[in-house]
Amino acid sequence: MRHAAGFIDSVPHFTLQISSEGPTLNASVGVSQPRAAALKTAGQPVPKLMFVRALVDTGASCTCIDPSILTELNLTPTGVVSLNTPSTGTTPQQAHQFDVSLFIPAPSGLPLFIHTMPVVASELLAAQGFHALLGRDVLSQCLFAYNGEFGVFTLAF
Amino acid sequence: MALEKELAVYHKKLPELKESEGKFVLIHEEDLVDIFTSYEDAIKAGYSQFGLEPFLVKQIHALEQAQFISRFVDPCATRRAS
Repeated sequence: MRHAAGFIDSVPHFTLQISSEGPTLNASVGVSQPRAAALKTAGQPVPKLMFVRALVDTGASCTCIDPSILTELNLTPTGVVSLNTPSTGTTPQQAHQFDVSLFIPAPSGLPLFIHTMPVVASELLAAQGFHALLGRDVLSQCLFAYNGEFGVFTLAF
Repeated sequence: MALEKELAVYHKKLPELKESEGKFVLIHEEDLVDIFTSYEDAIKAGYSQFGLEPFLVKQIHALEQAQFISRFVDPCATRRAS
């Protein structure tokens, strides 16, 4: 624990209150850097970053984004993955994957910026109070501490 | 479904791809273009070679590996996986 605390002090991090939805944070999603370059080459405008409310979800192996965000970014799928959720039962469902960039600001130090990463489009996120689930693919680059006793969580990267 | 043609090529070529387990294949229409070590490199090559035309980037797994979401969400999906 001492080691973890020392690590957090030395890297960009933030600590936020755990909301009624859980550990949520503000982030921005945009087109991936390679797609931005392709859009510029084609003489098309690059969509602006979209603000999203995201839930840190250790129960999600991949990051999911509400389709309304992906539509605003005018994205087309570049992948297909098999996905299991409580609603799919025992048979995985095929879902489209999209390449995006992700930006999470940090009050101390550099932000977390992933210029190209895959996400899956999932409905119903906005209705639950957020637009994105930050899955373990993003958490694999972070240290995530959930302090239930004090009602806060810390994300360091 | 978008990328259906490319996905069919992936499944057809999968026996040849097994040596590249875990790497990322780039497929455009009926052509298997190349194999990359990282997702980023495959996506970059896809946009660089095909611009905004559809292409598929898929991680190679001899046995399809499903992603898991424990929360109740509705994947924007097309059909049940085989």
